[in-house]
Amino acid sequence: MLTDFLQLTVAGLSQGSVYALLAVGLIAVYTVRHVINIAQGEFAMLAGLGSAWLTASGMPLFLAILVAILTVTLVAIAMERLIIARVKKLTPLISIILTLGVSTLLQAIMLLIWGPEAKGVPRFPGTNVLIGGVSIRSQEFWMIGALVVVGGGIVLFYEKSRWGKALRACAEQPVAARIVGISPVAASVLAFAIAGLVGAVAGVVSSPIYLSLWSGGVLLGLKGFVAAVLGGFVSFRAAIVGALMLGMIEAYVAGYVASGLRDGAAFLILILVLVVRPQGLVLKPTAVRV
Amino acid sequence: MTQATTPALAGMLSPWARFWLNNKGTIIGCGILVVLMIVFPFTASSTAMNIVVFAMIFALPAIGLNLLMGLAGQVSLGQAAFFAIGAYTHAIMLTKLHLPGPVAATIGVLAAMLVAFLVGLPIMRLRGHYLALATLGLGFIVMIGVREWDVTGRTTGIYGIARPTVLGVPIDNNGFFLWFLTPFVVIGLILALNLTRSRAGRALSAVNDSELAAESLGVNTYALRLKVFVLSAGFAGLGGVFYAYQVAIVSPATAEFHLSVSILLMVVIGGLGSVWGAVAGAFLVQFLGEGMRDAIPAIFPGATGEVQLLGYGIVLILVILLLPGGLHQAATSLWAKLPFPGRRPPADAHAQATEDDFTIPILPNVSTPVALGEPILEISGLTKRYGGVVAVNEVNLTVPAGTILGLIGPNGAGKTTCFNMISGALVPTSGTVTFLGQVISGRKPNVAASHGLTRTFQNLQVFTSTDVVGNVYMGRYRQGTAGVLRGMLGLQSAEQTAHRAAAYEILESMRLTDAADDSASDLSFGKQRMMEVCRALAAEPALLLLDEPMAGLSGAEREVMAELLRRLRSAGLTIVLVEHDVAQVMSLADHVAVLDDGVLIAHGDPESVRNDPAVVVAYLGTDLDEAEADLNELEEHV
Amino acid sequence: MKKSRLRFIAPIAVVTALALAGCSTSNLGGSSPADPAGDSGPIKIGAVLDVTGVGASLGVPEQNTLTMLAKQLNADGGIGGRDVELIILDDQSTEDGAAKATSKLIESEKVDIIIGASRTGPSLAMRPLAEAAKIPLISVAANVAIVADSQWVFKTTQNDVSVLETILNDAQKKGYTKLALVRDATGFGEGIADYITQLGADRGITLVTTESFEPSATDFTPQMTNVRGSDADAVIIWGINPSAGLAQKAYVQLGVNKPVYHSHGIANKAFFDTAGDAANGAIAAMGRLLVTDQLPADNPQRQVIEKFQADYSAAYGEQPSTFGGHAFDAWHIAVNAIDAVGTDPAALRDELEKAEFTGISGVFKMTAKNHSGLDASALILAEAQDGRWNLLKD
Repeated sequence: MLTDFLQLTVAGLSQGSVYALLAVGLIAVYTVRHVINIAQGEFAMLAGLGSAWLTASGMPLFLAILVAILTVTLVAIAMERLIIARVKKLTPLISIILTLGVSTLLQAIMLLIWGPEAKGVPRFPGTNVLIGGVSIRSQEFWMIGALVVVGGGIVLFYEKSRWGKALRACAEQPVAARIVGISPVAASVLAFAIAGLVGAVAGVVSSPIYLSLWSGGVLLGLKGFVAAVLGGFVSFRAAIVGALMLGMIEAYVAGYVASGLRDGAAFLILILVLVVRPQGLVLKPTAVRV
Repeated sequence: MTQATTPALAGMLSPWARFWLNNKGTIIGCGILVVLMIVFPFTASSTAMNIVVFAMIFALPAIGLNLLMGLAGQVSLGQAAFFAIGAYTHAIMLTKLHLPGPVAATIGVLAAMLVAFLVGLPIMRLRGHYLALATLGLGFIVMIGVREWDVTGRTTGIYGIARPTVLGVPIDNNGFFLWFLTPFVVIGLILALNLTRSRAGRALSAVNDSELAAESLGVNTYALRLKVFVLSAGFAGLGGVFYAYQVAIVSPATAEFHLSVSILLMVVIGGLGSVWGAVAGAFLVQFLGEGMRDAIPAIFPGATGEVQLLGYGIVLILVILLLPGGLHQAATSLWAKLPFPGRRPPADAHAQATEDDFTIPILPNVSTPVALGEPILEISGLTKRYGGVVAVNEVNLTVPAGTILGLIGPNGAGKTTCFNMISGALVPTSGTVTFLGQVISGRKPNVAASHGLTRTFQNLQVFTSTDVVGNVYMGRYRQGTAGVLRGMLGLQSAEQTAHRAAAYEILESMRLTDAADDSASDLSFGKQRMMEVCRALAAEPALLLLDEPMAGLSGAEREVMAELLRRLRSAGLTIVLVEHDVAQVMSLADHVAVLDDGVLIAHGDPESVRNDPAVVVAYLGTDLDEAEADLNELEEHV
Repeated sequence: MKKSRLRFIAPIAVVTALALAGCSTSNLGGSSPADPAGDSGPIKIGAVLDVTGVGASLGVPEQNTLTMLAKQLNADGGIGGRDVELIILDDQSTEDGAAKATSKLIESEKVDIIIGASRTGPSLAMRPLAEAAKIPLISVAANVAIVADSQWVFKTTQNDVSVLETILNDAQKKGYTKLALVRDATGFGEGIADYITQLGADRGITLVTTESFEPSATDFTPQMTNVRGSDADAVIIWGINPSAGLAQKAYVQLGVNKPVYHSHGIANKAFFDTAGDAANGAIAAMGRLLVTDQLPADNPQRQVIEKFQADYSAAYGEQPSTFGGHAFDAWHIAVNAIDAVGTDPAALRDELEKAEFTGISGVFKMTAKNHSGLDASALILAEAQDGRWNLLKD
């Protein structure tokens, strides 16, 4: 019993670390532009399919991954420059329709280039480990490791570096950010670059186990959103905790209730949290309304 | 449309002529649509026919979504969920319970509406992004639910739905099916068109422009949104019912996210807020989808699957970037360029009110629920804290009916915060506001409004999507009674005509009649402020809260405003105003209250307040104090 | 007023343009004509397949097979001098898509007979339409519910019950008494648990746990964790590729260490592509296509299969999969019947009920009661080893 529980926990944590990276990307963009980027999950699929294709055509694994991550980061920046930045008054309605348009477009491009089948990047080097009956796949170490290194790096960047602090300020006071020395344009580009980067990393590390599929991004991005909402949509740390919680909840629901209900659980939580505790489960409630 | 008929003219016409004038667009449009749909099966190829049938089916959820998105400004990414609920319920009623078609269909539509109601109760409290993503989550839940439930046939779905039979004729081909479907689409279309022009429809678009202002005029935004959400689900459910008939199977694919996207695309292409646009969008998206399915594999050999998404994505982005109003915008701007002999030339600059004539031609009605001098508004212990900052501290005030109270104080003294708590825009940390014996603090602004309290705003809250008279007309919201249902059935034209006439009269009191048909956003700042006062007066309030009504007004306009306020006071209206122009306040007000740092430091007649030492100190604050005040001001706007 | 009228122009323009462009066809005729295509012109054979979507690993070889066979047939002069027109529609692996495509074939294309769909769910969606229109339908999917009590529907894939019998007989022989099932959540996997319970009762075998997965699933940890925690002696994974291959992979990675059986749903190369080395040791019940070279020389199917393999690899440069075989059988059964009695639907159906054919999936013998025509003798067991199947039993 305990072995099963731990096994599900491992699966939940590794899946949760993918959600966490996506949540970090969503929050990075939201704090600067007040846009919830529906195309966030597509970044992951694009990187996964791209690196799978590159390795299949003979490129060494890590080079392929690097190329894919850089490309996707550029795609995210292009999205900001060519589309998001073109709109003067970015209402929620407009931003949702726009990012939905980008998401749909990216999906279609992936479908056209790589076809309808799911594809996986080859497994990263490493060996599967069996501890006390709990099997941990080597890839799962990579997934959790990616969260620690990349997710942790982003958090440190925001909390320690001058630019990171400016980005945070940007979220609260655009004028204040300018004083610290970052233009709103640069802040926006940087935010999208971060979103592209973390999305791409999430996509490549999860691809060997979970595969990449042209249409898989929406659901994945939405899980990242649920995670971010669990964390209250302001704090990276809270969102990462929320993401790991979500991953585990899903694994337990799939293991102990029914595997088909797994995604349903995530969205039920989403709606409940949005309605009951819009400030998220992780942070303390504040008194601000309106 | 209706707006073009002046009230005076409308009054002289026979009911039939008036009906024709009011509904000319709807009648002509639906007539053309019906004729086309009758002719179509005789001329169209079977492929085109197939597309048209599906376009007509999807026009229904698109109309529904358009009401929600275009009118109420709420994005739903889960429209397919209600489509699926309608389709599934219909299919279950037909195949498992063997109910007759009309009964099954009705239950299908009602089921979609019921689910929307239950889900809407909590999620309609959400806004913007959160609402959109909650509906997206809902879409997934419905899809997973039908996939995992035995009653809905799990992944296979429900099949074996027999085609309907009407008067003994089996509807077993696309032509008959189109004829069977068209009346329902046309009825839906008429209901939706009526709704957009009704009291409820105007209120919705007002909510979309400024939720705060709409609430202050008595609009219960939450209830109205919920109603539209339910209505929108009903349209989707009806579409689902026909889909089940046409495809003869209902599977989890009907709840797919991509279906929600394509319905959204129909609305966006057609033009947000345009009901006809939604129908046009449905046709366009169906043809686009079919065309892309043929064209893309030809361009990219080997392309398979849902390649039409390429077109959807591009079109979504391009429409929003280049043509945010969609086909509707394209059509109207094209029309404006066409030479049309009967068209009125654009009105010239309006003649200014004669500079030295400050008389008020018509005095708007006010309501006087209590005798002069009786307390109408009582504020006790009113406090607002933001974290550690106290914006308003233990304010006590009583306002007698039929008087003007001026509320003054340095920048950031907490005047607007006080105002917001009185009108319901802010929930006080502690303390109560009693209006006409009812505690209104902590309730939504529409509660205060329903008791006869209206307000204007320091930061103007203009309904930009309508004209000046439309703004003032919204002020009549509380005087109207027609709800969503009456609005859809078009049973309120007499009421509308009366309120329209009243709106013109009120504009005249401020000498704004010339600008009545201009777009509200084109007015000068000062005129917009005067329009807001007219809008608040249109509600025939017992208590009027004015937040800096003189700001941005010209000297002459100030005189008109001051004269109007005096005359209104004589008529029995109680007024509370916040104003920077201390001289104006002193000359106008019966009582003056002074706030400093959130504390009420003086209260009395203008003369005694003017000489109060505490007031003098407050107005001669040092730079440091002012800086702090600015900070507080900032806090108030967060 | 003026603005509003313009709003109609867009839809009107689009609609009118299409109305004029479209040729005048009758959209008002009934959907159940006595003889859809008449006795002249080409014979129309429709097919609805999972060319894209989760069933693509089945639909694509089926599409290839049918296209190849139609070409061959027309090159040989068609049927009785009439050309055969093959119309393949993609249902995108959805039930809705299958239903829409079927309606289109019946109402617009007026086909004489329909082949499809690739999987159970879409086939079930097509069945009532074919029954209502009285057009013969030959499914290439497995679940016996497709043809149960049907008038107009036939199928060529081995029944799932026969497959289970084959697997359970082997399990009984090896002394397994407790089985776990990890099944596809779609129509293909529906009812499998009940069949195992029923068939297992005679063999002293009980089903101890059932898990399910979507065909689009990629993570199988929860299912396999539960299977690992059960006291089952052996496991049946019942699905199609790629999900069944991924399940096999997760099964090995999570160290379940129990013998595993697969259905005939995985009998293609994609299984090895997805599962890789993890496939080794998996046992599957399947037709004889993938083990032809190991069949005795006198096996009646051997010659048919070898010709099919040669033709298919000549046309497409790869070996055919079992699913292509299902389509091959459906095609020939349909063509033989049309050759014998023409295209009158009722006569065609009566002829199909008498069809006998030695095909890829087995030796068919249809009757009015049995619209499937195959029994357990059509199946063999094979073990996966290094990318190929080794015949265990015939």
